[in-house]
Amino acid sequence: MAEEKKPLFKVTIDNITIEVEPGTSILMAARRIGGDVTPPAMCFYSKLEGSGGKCRTCLVEVSKGSEKDPRPMPKLVASCRTTVMDGMEVKNITSDKVLDARAGVVEFLLINHPLDCPICDQAGECHLQDLSYEHGKEGTRYEFRRRTFEKEDIGPYIQLHMTRCILCYRCTYVADQLTNSRVHGILDRGDHAEISTYISKAIENDFSGNMIDVCPVGALTDKTFRFKNRVWFTKPVDAHRDCPTCCGKVTLWNRGDEVLRVTSRKDQFGEVQSFDGKPGWICNTCRFDKKKMSDWVIEGPTKIARHSVISANHYVGATRPQETIAEVMGGRDPKLLMDIHAISDVNDPKVDLSEVKGAPTSATYEKTKKLS
Amino acid sequence: MGRKLLLDKAHVENIRSYDVYRREGGYRSVEKALKTMSPDAITEEVKKSGLRGRGGAGFPTGMKWSFLAKPEGVPRYLVVNADESEPGTFKDRYLMEFIPHLLIEGMIVSSFALGSKVSYIYIRGEYAWIVDILEQAIQEAKNNGFLGKNIQGSGFDCEIYVHRGAGAYICGEETALIESLEGKRGNPRIKPPFPAVKGVWDCPTVVNNVETIAAVVPIINDGGEEYAKIGIGKSTGTKLISSCGNINKPGVYEIDMTISVEEFIYSDEYCGGIANGKKLKACIPGGSSVPILPANLLLKTAKGEKRMMTYEGLADGGFATGSMMGSGGFIVLDEDQCVVKHTYTLARFYRHESCGQCSPCREGTGWMEKILLNIDKGKGKMSDIDLLWDIQRKIEGNTICPLGDAAAWPVAAAIRHFRDEFEWHVLNPDESQRRNYGLAHYADALTVPA
Repeated sequence: MAEEKKPLFKVTIDNITIEVEPGTSILMAARRIGGDVTPPAMCFYSKLEGSGGKCRTCLVEVSKGSEKDPRPMPKLVASCRTTVMDGMEVKNITSDKVLDARAGVVEFLLINHPLDCPICDQAGECHLQDLSYEHGKEGTRYEFRRRTFEKEDIGPYIQLHMTRCILCYRCTYVADQLTNSRVHGILDRGDHAEISTYISKAIENDFSGNMIDVCPVGALTDKTFRFKNRVWFTKPVDAHRDCPTCCGKVTLWNRGDEVLRVTSRKDQFGEVQSFDGKPGWICNTCRFDKKKMSDWVIEGPTKIARHSVISANHYVGATRPQETIAEVMGGRDPKLLMDIHAISDVNDPKVDLSEVKGAPTSATYEKTKKLS
Repeated sequence: MGRKLLLDKAHVENIRSYDVYRREGGYRSVEKALKTMSPDAITEEVKKSGLRGRGGAGFPTGMKWSFLAKPEGVPRYLVVNADESEPGTFKDRYLMEFIPHLLIEGMIVSSFALGSKVSYIYIRGEYAWIVDILEQAIQEAKNNGFLGKNIQGSGFDCEIYVHRGAGAYICGEETALIESLEGKRGNPRIKPPFPAVKGVWDCPTVVNNVETIAAVVPIINDGGEEYAKIGIGKSTGTKLISSCGNINKPGVYEIDMTISVEEFIYSDEYCGGIANGKKLKACIPGGSSVPILPANLLLKTAKGEKRMMTYEGLADGGFATGSMMGSGGFIVLDEDQCVVKHTYTLARFYRHESCGQCSPCREGTGWMEKILLNIDKGKGKMSDIDLLWDIQRKIEGNTICPLGDAAAWPVAAAIRHFRDEFEWHVLNPDESQRRNYGLAHYADALTVPA
């Protein structure tokens, strides 16, 4: 049967018009445009059914409902769960109302979130850090004790640190949708609600580790990686292996040849990448047990598309600096050009710092000099 | 004497039993509806009556019914929302406790109109003894052929089940109620889709308040037009008001919506005036979530007219100088009450009842409660008042369900109308612990703009 092509809907977001399939959410349409137009999302995860609508960071103003019914929507709407209509006009960063509400949401999310970024493993790739940096205000008006919880181990590999949780519900959807046993959910309600297993049980299934990947903050952390290294000091490498349970396509986070952690591959929105139309969730064996380079076939360095601290130091889109000597000397060549390495031992380019065990010292360079 | 349609027979002895209820003219509407009317004709009659939802929002019931999606081969459901948990509201409890058959009767007619073969009463968990009353009424109706298969030979089947909630205010929100009814955690759903399209078990569902469904009975008995004659404008029919607080005669009153607020508070037929000869300071006219009004704005609108006990009358002036009919919980505060403490109590309630799903409500309600407690205890700062205003503004309208609004409105209204009392608390921390601010100027005559 020939599939009839549905007419595309025209939607205008921040004065940029795009055509999308009917049924697309405003957020997904905005992601197609990309850049600043994309509302931030803390709870929505396009690969998890039913997620979204909770954090309210993706609120946008609909200034025109559709071509048929041009009335604006009375309230700000959650763009992740509102589908586009033909002729819809949406204001995101062009609306002061939206920016104000979003700043409010960021403030709400942060009032009970601990300021333990310096010891948090998620720091550097934390969505809440990015969100508060981009949309929040410096300083807080909250003067009360923050809510705290005891740390909890859910299974041998995952630690739940509920104090950091922003209750996005993503991990409960993972537990629900990737596996068929449901032991994981929300206890209590309101600001004392907590994610937990009933009661303090381990989550034992092959895909439980994906909860760590979907967690936007540091509430769920990989116990094999806790306190090993800051993420921005590790070197991400794309790799794969022939795994019987999952797609086996991962990112290794290395220091030298040591694999510190294994995660699924993520796209620019911090979500798991899809391969052949299926989300590339990885199994616990790949994630926690295969920590040797020999376990993996290396594809090459990961290009991190996400705008976050982890993308620093990885030379994404780096350009070679212009030749400056001729310019500063008014077009003349220098009479004498000395190479610093000819007279100094330090920072010998022959030394590959990533192969040095531990921190490099002057001894490291002396040795290489003698060898050459 | 105002007209009574719902509680007219509530005090007949043994009206709880089927025999007495039937003798008093009960179940006539079922016979009339099932034998002489089509489902659409009933909906039409309800539309004509102008009946508005009695649960709080005041949405026209007939309209709601006509929005119900009717796809082939998919069951439809009627759910009666008896999860009456708002502080100050206890009208449904009274109705269900004293005259349970009225609700059952209204449900049968409404189920017929909506094509619901299985209908539910979702009742507040704390109303445990009413569950027994309702279940007995259902059993009696069944024994007499008003429920079950082929009701009164009409070929219409209907069953009613009573489902007990587990004590969460949020389950009074219709989609949270549906989730809870399905056996899940009572988190409100994200709309759309609305229950009229996807409700209980993803089937089209109508969720109505107890009083709304009970009001269907007189509408069918006497006709929608007759019902619409009572009341003013779009506020037709009678309304149950549960009044409490510092009044001489707290209780549930049925009013036809033609009387003024002043009459309701001071006449002996209703509240009987303020208790102990005190003066009226403030009032929440529609259950704890609607804006509080000071005495002068309660009795007269900003235009200087008498404020009426109708949907439009109470809402006159918008939130700047008006309030809402809400669920009809009429809470009266006399001159000895402290608005700050009162607001704190409400904020504590909403903080405790927030489901914790969306961030503005989850975090904002707790924050407001803490600030209000500080102000109440004399530890507040002047900037806290502006901060409260800012917090409520950022909660309102930005949440999944109306609980965020319900938490924000009382705080907003208290600051809007009683700001000087808040400031007095901040400026006089010691004195505020010993005495109340008192009546102040809140009952002064309004200066009406020419």
